Amino acid sequence: MAFNYDSYLRLEKMPTLWCWGCGDGIVLKAFIRAIEKLGWSKDEVCVVSGIGCSGRFSSYVDFNTVHTTHGRTVAFATGIKLANPTKKVICVAGDGDALAIGGNHTIHGCRRNIDMTLIVIQNFIYGLTNSQTSPTTPQGMWTVSQKAGNIDPTFDGCELAIAAGASFVGRENVTDPKKLEKLLMQAMEHRGFSYVEAMSNCHINLGRKNKMQSAMENLDWIDSITMPKKKYDALSTEEQLNLFPTGILKQNKEAREYCDMYEDIKAVHQGKRGVITQDDFAKKI
Amino acid sequence: MAVMVAPENTPVWVNTSRCKACDICVDACPAGVLSMKADASSTLGAIIDIVAPEACIGCNECELSCPDFAIYVAEKSEFKFAKLTDTSKARQEAIMNNGYRLPAQFKEVM
Amino acid sequence: MQTREIISTGNDLAAIAAVDAGCLFFAGYPITPSSEVMHTISDLLPEIGGVAIQMEDEIAGVAAAIGAGMSGVRALTATSGPGISLKAENLGLAQMTEVPLVIVNVMRGGPSTGLPTRVSQGDVRQAKNPSHGDYRSITLCAGNLAECYTEVVRAFNLADRFMQPVFVLTDETIGHMHGKAVIPTEEEVKNGIVPRKKFDGTPEDYRPYGVGSDEPAVLNPMFEGYRYHFTGLHHDSKGFPTEEIETCRKLIQRLEDKVMMHRDELEFNEEFMLDDMTGEEGEVLIIAYGSVSLSAKESIRHLRAQGIKAGLFRPITLWPSPAESIRKYTDMIKNVLCVELNIRQYTEEVERVSSRLDIQGLYKVNGRPISPYEIVNKVKEVF
Repeated sequence: MAFNYDSYLRLEKMPTLWCWGCGDGIVLKAFIRAIEKLGWSKDEVCVVSGIGCSGRFSSYVDFNTVHTTHGRTVAFATGIKLANPTKKVICVAGDGDALAIGGNHTIHGCRRNIDMTLIVIQNFIYGLTNSQTSPTTPQGMWTVSQKAGNIDPTFDGCELAIAAGASFVGRENVTDPKKLEKLLMQAMEHRGFSYVEAMSNCHINLGRKNKMQSAMENLDWIDSITMPKKKYDALSTEEQLNLFPTGILKQNKEAREYCDMYEDIKAVHQGKRGVITQDDFAKKI
Repeated sequence: MAVMVAPENTPVWVNTSRCKACDICVDACPAGVLSMKADASSTLGAIIDIVAPEACIGCNECELSCPDFAIYVAEKSEFKFAKLTDTSKARQEAIMNNGYRLPAQFKEVM
Repeated sequence: MQTREIISTGNDLAAIAAVDAGCLFFAGYPITPSSEVMHTISDLLPEIGGVAIQMEDEIAGVAAAIGAGMSGVRALTATSGPGISLKAENLGLAQMTEVPLVIVNVMRGGPSTGLPTRVSQGDVRQAKNPSHGDYRSITLCAGNLAECYTEVVRAFNLADRFMQPVFVLTDETIGHMHGKAVIPTEEEVKNGIVPRKKFDGTPEDYRPYGVGSDEPAVLNPMFEGYRYHFTGLHHDSKGFPTEEIETCRKLIQRLEDKVMMHRDELEFNEEFMLDDMTGEEGEVLIIAYGSVSLSAKESIRHLRAQGIKAGLFRPITLWPSPAESIRKYTDMIKNVLCVELNIRQYTEEVERVSSRLDIQGLYKVNGRPISPYEIVNKVKEVF
């Protein structure tokens, strides 16, 4: 007896289109195990993805699935969730998808604290389109659009999500699938906007000119730049440079969720309560 | 729970049609159970090979890390797995030092 | 038909129509001169259990509306030209995935920021092809206050019938016009709702895109046991990406044919003072649409009073164009004048379908409406 991923997969789509050793598959497996443990039925889940290698994520799993345009994942998901507030909506995006072209939607999804989980598969590069600089590409790395070396400052998606108001923010990397599974479970269970960064490899398009040509070399590098939050917090600011904390980075269970707040709007218009005023939010401020 | 039936008396098994020979499972194994072997029909010229099933400790790391749903490990309740031995560790180290492939001297022993 | 009288504005009427037609979801972004559609519907929807949300940008506005549409509810967005420019890519996704959606475009002067608070009909050509690739736009154009209501209702039913976005073009003049409109009762509208088709066989047999060569997709609501896939990629009968040559060809051909083979269900025109036309010398055919037609009608009364036999052909469905109806009149009547608040955007279509290159035009692009007198003078000048 073993865990049967196949019952969640669209088997006719296997093998995946992802390259050998691509962490996207590890995230997909962790996601499937997390869903299984949460006991959610396939019919109540909607998986929405954007464009990029991660965009294919939605086509492999046997849920209600949507492959949208580049960067707009959270915006489409917002419509699906608001129209179906009791259902579970999961967004999957890449770093370019969620933080560059779709940055605005990521910010405002976090700000609204609408109940959905955004899984950002962060591989530091545009993989599908062959090695262009992404907002998370480390400075000094080679990319096909900056062959002289990337000068663009590196962007931390988790910091953004925290600042923008997501009520759950966490990071794990694909070298620790058990922790990733647990984090995904906690994120999906959380009511509100949960942002999960799954640090992943792209030895093909990040690694090929940055001395990480194999999956394992790329994964070892990710291991070397990540550490549990507790350990990270004990470091000096100088030591923290270019390192990334893992685990739950923020969780606010008190923050009100957007669909819940919209029920207040309905109540006002249905004459069940007075208009919403600043006093309703006094405690939060 | 979504379960699949394990082949009889088998600690770890693979669906070779899904294996893309990325080496991740070989790296993840602490006990030298897995290795890559040459396979002319595979895109990367290699495929996963279970070289020492009797040494499998059932830690499940290979399964969790496989991006392609190609490798499976039996449940601990159903199979009596081995303990991690020095021999297993030595074999694992030899495989890692030999580009994820089982060195010839180990093949002879087996 | 049971009717009621209501004193309102074009933008408010569009919002009321959407709610009466069963719309339960609105997402949009503020833009002049369409914002009042959002203002009004954000009061109406929560009252009946629906949702109206102001999104972070125009792109998110249409994306959320399409998302709601994918999940199975009737959804609306409203905007103006610059908003359509931003929404274009996702309108293409809705065409490709065959998701019904109604987009009210209250037109203002362009290009670019143009004349935000003034009128134009500059988005007629844009409405035909807002996004790249091959598909057929369905574009309706309201010509008076009542039609801001009735055309939005019709748009919702057509969106579900053809499974694609449907544009309702209005403009600043009509959107902000305040007056009496005679519109169908709510009950009439409710009785006329034709919801999208549903598949009720076993999920294993479900092929959302496996339909006849001129039929729209059959998209069941989400979360009801029919799990399938939406993608903007070329896709097979189950909705999964494919590059198979024949499947790809058939898909795009079907997007064309599902509309073009059923133009009769879409065509809707007004023929004003055309019934006494005989083709004799001196008759004048005016072709105009939208708010301009109000001036055109007034000008025709003046022209007729002065002994010039003029009439108006007004397409209400602009795209696909009523080619045969236009040709019927352009074949019969020698003097043809197109009047538009743009430069030749629909005149070129009239030229194409009539095969005539002597069509006269009166065009205005300074943000001001065309007065009846301008039309009268133009007719006297050119014919």
